[in-house]
Amino acid sequence: MKKQIILSLAAVLVFMVTPASLLAGETYLGGFVQGLYGGGLDRDNPTSSEMTASETRLQLRMESFSDAAEFFGRLDFVYDDYYNPNTELELREGFVKFRMFQNLDFKIGRQIINWGTADLIFINDMFAKDYRSFFNGRDDQYLKAPQNALRVAWYSPLGTFSGIYTPRFTPNRIPTGERLSYFNPLAGQIVGGEPFYFEGRMPEAKFKNSEIAARFSRYVGSADIALYFYHGFYKNPTALDMVDSMAYYPRLNVYGASMRLPLLGGIVWLESGYYDSRDDSDGDNPLIPNSTVSSLVGFERQLNSNLTANLQYQNKYMLDHDVYADHLPPQAVEMDEMYHLVTSRLTQLLWMETVTVSAFGFYSPSEEDFYGRFSVSYKYTDALTLSAGANIFDGKEEYTDFGRFQKNDNVYLKVTYGY
Amino acid sequence: MNFMRTLSITAVLLLIGTAGLFAQDNQALDLMKQAHLNLYYAGDDGVAEVKMTIVNSKGKERQREFAMLRLDLEDGGRQNYYTYFRKPSDVSRLTFMVHKMPDASDNRWLYIPSVDLVKRISADDKNSSFVGSDFTYEDVSGRHWSEDNHKLLREDTYNDRPVYVIESIPKESYKGFARKVTFIDKEYVLPVREEYYDKKDELVRIFTVEKIETIDDIQTPTLRKIENVQKNQYTTVEFTNIDYNVNIKEDVFTERFLKNPPREFIK
Repeated sequence: MKKQIILSLAAVLVFMVTPASLLAGETYLGGFVQGLYGGGLDRDNPTSSEMTASETRLQLRMESFSDAAEFFGRLDFVYDDYYNPNTELELREGFVKFRMFQNLDFKIGRQIINWGTADLIFINDMFAKDYRSFFNGRDDQYLKAPQNALRVAWYSPLGTFSGIYTPRFTPNRIPTGERLSYFNPLAGQIVGGEPFYFEGRMPEAKFKNSEIAARFSRYVGSADIALYFYHGFYKNPTALDMVDSMAYYPRLNVYGASMRLPLLGGIVWLESGYYDSRDDSDGDNPLIPNSTVSSLVGFERQLNSNLTANLQYQNKYMLDHDVYADHLPPQAVEMDEMYHLVTSRLTQLLWMETVTVSAFGFYSPSEEDFYGRFSVSYKYTDALTLSAGANIFDGKEEYTDFGRFQKNDNVYLKVTYGY
Repeated sequence: MNFMRTLSITAVLLLIGTAGLFAQDNQALDLMKQAHLNLYYAGDDGVAEVKMTIVNSKGKERQREFAMLRLDLEDGGRQNYYTYFRKPSDVSRLTFMVHKMPDASDNRWLYIPSVDLVKRISADDKNSSFVGSDFTYEDVSGRHWSEDNHKLLREDTYNDRPVYVIESIPKESYKGFARKVTFIDKEYVLPVREEYYDKKDELVRIFTVEKIETIDDIQTPTLRKIENVQKNQYTTVEFTNIDYNVNIKEDVFTERFLKNPPREFIK
């Protein structure tokens, strides 16, 4: 056992200083080249560029493993016509995985993390998302932003305990006014362009400001159930500091649970979470989100061999709405006590699964706003894929979740060559 | 008296005849069962590298490469499958796991590593295409012999080898086929050809075994083909690096290994 630990630690050290190709064991390389071009559909969008995307991306993937450990790296080189400088380099993933004592798994480094049961709705998944990518037509894999984290999973007879420690708080990537406009509550309208480039104030880089996420999961019959905990911050800058006129990330704890099981010829999932807004525990500060309870139910099934559909309903209940309403300044817009959201996804496969037609709609009856994602992709060969799609936003008001992006309607074309 | 005797003889003959008929049906059932076990439950477990070639009506080829693990929990019954995709590039490292339940819907999971997503897949339709090929999920894991009535049609030769020819009709109306004719190799007791007919009794698909190799004393079809006659397209599946009885543990077929491929079997 001791030998195993030493070997594992040694492997980590070796991986850190040695290019994986020099190691014994297996090494695999792969990746893709991709061009993505998108244009806005709204003439009055206040952004600096009318192109929502114009980029060429080269992704390099490397995987290497020996008996003791496993390394995976994914590196993106992006040439963007709009940004200055034009080139960007991002390590999407770069981690080492190894095993100890038969039942302990470690994953250390830059990684994409995902948990929870729902489809594109995240209640207990408090890991960084990239909504800029999500809204402009990049591949699904870009919805998740990487985090530098230490991940441990302990497989016990009772179930699986997972813990994720992120030393530096990693926020979501949200529209900042460069390519995508957003609603600015201080300006009272949808803004974009250089004077409104947006940045939230990050928590200080201190130990106490790190993020901790934990999950316990197990199977009960054919149902998988899970309990969740998160200690950190809201991932969007949802609070406002009136002194500095700055948005910032207020402190947050989340306690939640989920269940997923096969039922009625499909899959049903339920998920719930209690958001404890720690900077506003009494709910009397309208500039910080109120504590909420969010619940969701979803169902997915095949309608025929090539058509899959799902439906989700989510609500969010504000816990101290009365207190919040009492402390709201006179002219301010009052948020509803209960928020409702309905979503649906349809996926149709054609021509021996070489063509995928997909539509995903979010609609909130309480906020009266909508977001639709539509795409068609054709795998011309195993390597070459052509895609086209649209992102459509609509909203009665400019300050709601999707309404705030309503000037960002866009269409895009994408060509991917995988190798 | 004569009349009674005639009647008795007739009755006896009838009985023998019926018994013979039953015997034949039982033989067909036994053969289908044994062929199923030989094809889908060879050894206690198995690993293989699989290369799938999908050829459409215009002759255009697509390829899938994956590693496959199988563990039998009971012969002819519960079974676990694990698939690790290598090619094409956009699905590389993706894993797929099935807990096959003969009496209930299978449980299926998909893990997409680029988003670290474990997805459960509804498994209602066994006739869905497996990764865009002419093979269905049912072709991959097999249709249980008890779901059809079987009848021995004749004994024949196929590719110069003696075979039994058996007709199977689903007990309950079934979307996959209305009638199936199976050629079972007499020596190996393996299906070497299956013809699938639709409700109009028109030939839809033909499954053929193109090559059989002996691996660990087990006769293994290493090259299989499904031709969709009506769509004029076909898929071949080639198995290499096959190993039986490699002692795969049941916990390999859990979420832990779905996210972390067992490297002792999948290099």
